[in-house]
Amino acid sequence: MVDKDYSSTDDQALVGAARQGDTRAFEELVARHRDKIYARAFSMLRNEQEAIDLSQEAWVKGWQRLNQFQGESSFGTWMTRIVINLCLDELRRQKRQRTDSMEAIEEESGGVERQMPILEVNPTAGLERTELRQRIDRALGQLSREHRTVLVLHEFEEMEYKQIAKTMECSIGTVMSRLFYARRKLAALLADLKKESST
Amino acid sequence: MNYEEQLKLQSFLDGELPEKDARDVAARVARDNQAAALLAELRHTREAITGFEDTIRLPESREFYWSKIQREIDRLQPVSAREAPAFSLWAYLRRVAVPATALALVAIAGLVANRGLHGFGGAGVTEVSVSDAEALTYRDYAAGTTLVWLSFPADNEVAQNTTSGTLP
Repeated sequence: MVDKDYSSTDDQALVGAARQGDTRAFEELVARHRDKIYARAFSMLRNEQEAIDLSQEAWVKGWQRLNQFQGESSFGTWMTRIVINLCLDELRRQKRQRTDSMEAIEEESGGVERQMPILEVNPTAGLERTELRQRIDRALGQLSREHRTVLVLHEFEEMEYKQIAKTMECSIGTVMSRLFYARRKLAALLADLKKESST
Repeated sequence: MNYEEQLKLQSFLDGELPEKDARDVAARVARDNQAAALLAELRHTREAITGFEDTIRLPESREFYWSKIQREIDRLQPVSAREAPAFSLWAYLRRVAVPATALALVAIAGLVANRGLHGFGGAGVTEVSVSDAEALTYRDYAAGTTLVWLSFPADNEVAQNTTSGTLP
């Protein structure tokens, strides 16, 4: 039997075929959106293997819940929400296991970001794309999970404060405070990385 | 700038302020260098990470990545959903159609044999064993002959468990 070629079929039709049990159609959906789903998991978890495992788990959940996909958003957006929820569950599980980190103490004591000097110069100006990517990658890795998550949901998922608060089960004030800290810390880290590379 | 004002500045950048508050903040930024510098820093950071995720690529091949997903999907599929149609058809043939056909053929053969030896008024008797509906016995008392037909394949438990070829 010759496999059907789905490369030119749109997402909606692939979802329809997958609902009927066609795993080849679902594989095509995975192939189209796998980078985006993995990228979101990696941004939130900062661990390559965890991100692979969790993104695969998201695809299995997507398969199980295909009948719940109403087409109100794109299939990629729908899948992204599934992987975000799995990441949040994982981060909550990890948080329950770990003792208070310095980041948490720092955040609770509050106000560190208020004392940070304002950067007059854009620390990323003039950087090539690859170098910029590497610096941001390192800087994001140095943020706490909570700060990084708020930043990812706001900057990459383009959620409003209210949506983030609902998703993370915290107040809007906490979202604003975490986002402000994350941005200021990121700016400081990027500036430090620039100094390191110039010396 | 106090902390509350700093957060308001951020909300202004993110478009989260009501129109009147946004106008107030814009006016503040125009006359306050510190506010303008902080807004510029926040904006630079936001711009720096825009599109960052688009550069991240899955570090596995399509086939390898998919294989684990497929295994999990296969594992989650109920066995009945995967095998039920083929299994039920086979079961129907095996349990109903094959024995019924065999019985019908044996019955016809018995009748033909009976008629050939004695005609319809002969002394031959065809019996179906109650304990084993797939065995048919023909007795010809006049000739002192007994013939036993067994359906094939042997489908009952006794036949399947019998290892020797000796009939009781």
